[in-house]
Amino acid sequence: MVNKNKVEMKSAPGRDKVEVLGETFEPGKPEGEEMGKWRQKLESRQEKLKYLETGERYYYSKDWYGSEKRKNPA
Amino acid sequence: MAEEKKLSIDPATLEMIEKANSEGVSTAFARAEVMRPCPIGAEGSCCSNCAMGPCRVPLPRGRTETPEEKKKRRGVCGATVETIAARNFVRKIAAGTASHGDHGREVAKVFLEMARGEAPGFEIKDEQKLLQLALELGVNIGNRSNKEIAIDVGKILEADFSRQEGELVFLKRAPIKRQEIWKKLGVLPRGIDREVSEALHRTHMGCDQDYKDLLLHGAKTALADGWGGSMIATELQDIMFGTPAPVASQINLGVLKIDEVNIIVHGHEPYLAETLAVVAQMPEMIEYAKSNGAKGINLAGMCCTANEILMRHGVPIAGNFLQQELAVVTGAVEAMVVDVQCIMQGLVEAASCFHTKIITTDRRAKIEGATHMEFDEHHAVESAKAVIKAAIDNFPNRRQNVRIPDYKTDIIAGFSHETINYLLGGLFRASYRPLNDNIINGRIRGVAGVVGCNNARVTHDDVHVTLVKELIKNDVLVLETGCAAMACGKAGLLVPEAAALAGPGLRSVCEAVGIPPVLHLGACIDNSRILIAATAMVKDGGLGDDISDLPAAGVAPEWMSEKAVAIGQYFVSSGVYTIFGASWPTEGSKEVTDFLFKEMENLYGGMWGFETDPLKIAKMVIDHIDKKRKALGIDKARERVLYDMAMRRELEAV
Ligand code: SF4
Repeated sequence: MVNKNKVEMKSAPGRDKVEVLGETFEPGKPEGEEMGKWRQKLESRQEKLKYLETGERYYYSKDWYGSEKRKNPA
Repeated sequence: MAEEKKLSIDPATLEMIEKANSEGVSTAFARAEVMRPCPIGAEGSCCSNCAMGPCRVPLPRGRTETPEEKKKRRGVCGATVETIAARNFVRKIAAGTASHGDHGREVAKVFLEMARGEAPGFEIKDEQKLLQLALELGVNIGNRSNKEIAIDVGKILEADFSRQEGELVFLKRAPIKRQEIWKKLGVLPRGIDREVSEALHRTHMGCDQDYKDLLLHGAKTALADGWGGSMIATELQDIMFGTPAPVASQINLGVLKIDEVNIIVHGHEPYLAETLAVVAQMPEMIEYAKSNGAKGINLAGMCCTANEILMRHGVPIAGNFLQQELAVVTGAVEAMVVDVQCIMQGLVEAASCFHTKIITTDRRAKIEGATHMEFDEHHAVESAKAVIKAAIDNFPNRRQNVRIPDYKTDIIAGFSHETINYLLGGLFRASYRPLNDNIINGRIRGVAGVVGCNNARVTHDDVHVTLVKELIKNDVLVLETGCAAMACGKAGLLVPEAAALAGPGLRSVCEAVGIPPVLHLGACIDNSRILIAATAMVKDGGLGDDISDLPAAGVAPEWMSEKAVAIGQYFVSSGVYTIFGASWPTEGSKEVTDFLFKEMENLYGGMWGFETDPLKIAKMVIDHIDKKRKALGIDKARERVLYDMAMRRELEAV
């Protein structure tokens, strides 16, 4: 899914054009039972694991412990 | 003449009470008028733990007792009123923990059967949650199939019920400081069953007779519920049935349909309800309904089962706990299908006045006079078909006295921790940061969990709704579960438009994110989601390093069940100020009550409170939130100033 996102070229100060992530919302308005179902946007196991590493980073990322950043993580 | 107590604020409920009374149908509302609560039992001053009793040791009414009188307040065995009140309190916690634990154990059993291919009606619906648990529990993922991973996950969690030593696996999810507090106090639960069993042993005649020690074990037992049985149930249900995400539906008795087969599914454990939700849509079942004169099949929920299938399928809710008999009184319900917990025996008597079939489905909860059709998870679809067919067969038996109240309200439900995280931060950086930031800048004053039951001793839904309206007006974001969420749903508070009733700060945040000011997080078992949300707020930073530092509080204003006491105690033991309404079960002992209301704060950072007036409860919550804001140094609103170029130039010129 990550690869399918729009990428835009923007000019950055001191550099030429840089690639930035474009809009990530989907067109239209979801309706019916599918309205709020966001989890199936993550399709492959790799995407799901990646999401956990960022979304639940306090538990599953080695370089982030939020307010509890300690030498010995929980 | 004393003013007559209003029975409910819900017009559908009042209409059906009136119908029941005019048709001579007995309901909890009418029974509560004639069956007054025993004043000695209500204050926790009655012990029936041995055959030398029951011993009644009530507090003198209307005056302060003398020290001599206090000395005499003892049972035959010499047990003091403190011991008796604490034992009764701990037994309630044990019963509540056992109920949630048994729910969790049953979920773990079905989960393992599903993973081994022995329960063909079930599958893994949320791979991501499975992977999350695998990471957390150290289960190898690699290229293994989901079912292989699920077997390992299921076995580890199942072991939490019978573990004799060590500690429950999910305790590690709590903030580090919280874990250290538990360790220091010696309240890290070992196994769920072990703590329940020890609680019953300690409270046996002639065993633990130090009220503080009893209450310490009560805290440990309750933690085995919140971070054990309840959390296991929630997590495994999410894997099997899907982690809830926002879904639109409707609530109240008006969701019943005059021309369809109405089936109400009531209770707590979701497997049968999940299967019914799928089977009710099968063309063959709809055809069968039509062949019996109905236009279709209308499935609706009641109590916590309702919350489960609402969140995952958008199935409408017919009502909360005190509306169960009233659903039958409509005369439009072909079958009320029940499993475990909060099912009134009075349903059978009410159903005898109509054509409604009360169908029990769980081996652990049969009711005399009801039809028993045991649910077999190995043949889930067949079990569900048999139940639906029985309901359809009953459609032609409808009698003349059918009346469905014309009241139903739109709701949005399904705000799991995962969904809140996603809604606030997005797919690439899911986060609680915007919530924490808005609490720090003062737009959101704090967070309140308003949960729990209905209670026939207070005006139905009134305390919930009045309290929650007052909280959101004061910029307190409200998280809800159980019958509390349903009360607010009926009052129109679970939709984004309800932001109009919120204070300007909370309103601006709700409008920016597109969420209601009152978030529906699920069934009572899902109070564990509130623990996780609170932990996520701590871990995101800026609001202290423990749950007890958060500007947050919990309330169960219309509680009635023993499960509520277990829930309340696990919130208190997790650092949350928790207020109960309706009645307080240790009022007979000042020492025990003071320990729960005051001393517990020194131990756990959270303590109990009691108040029946919803506006006074709101004040207690807000005062506590303000106290925590002050301690965090965020008591003055600090709007972030975004500098434009002109302002920058001005700055540079200085
Ligand atoms: S345990 Fe003691 S207080 Fe309780 S019933 Fe027996 S004698 Fe009475």
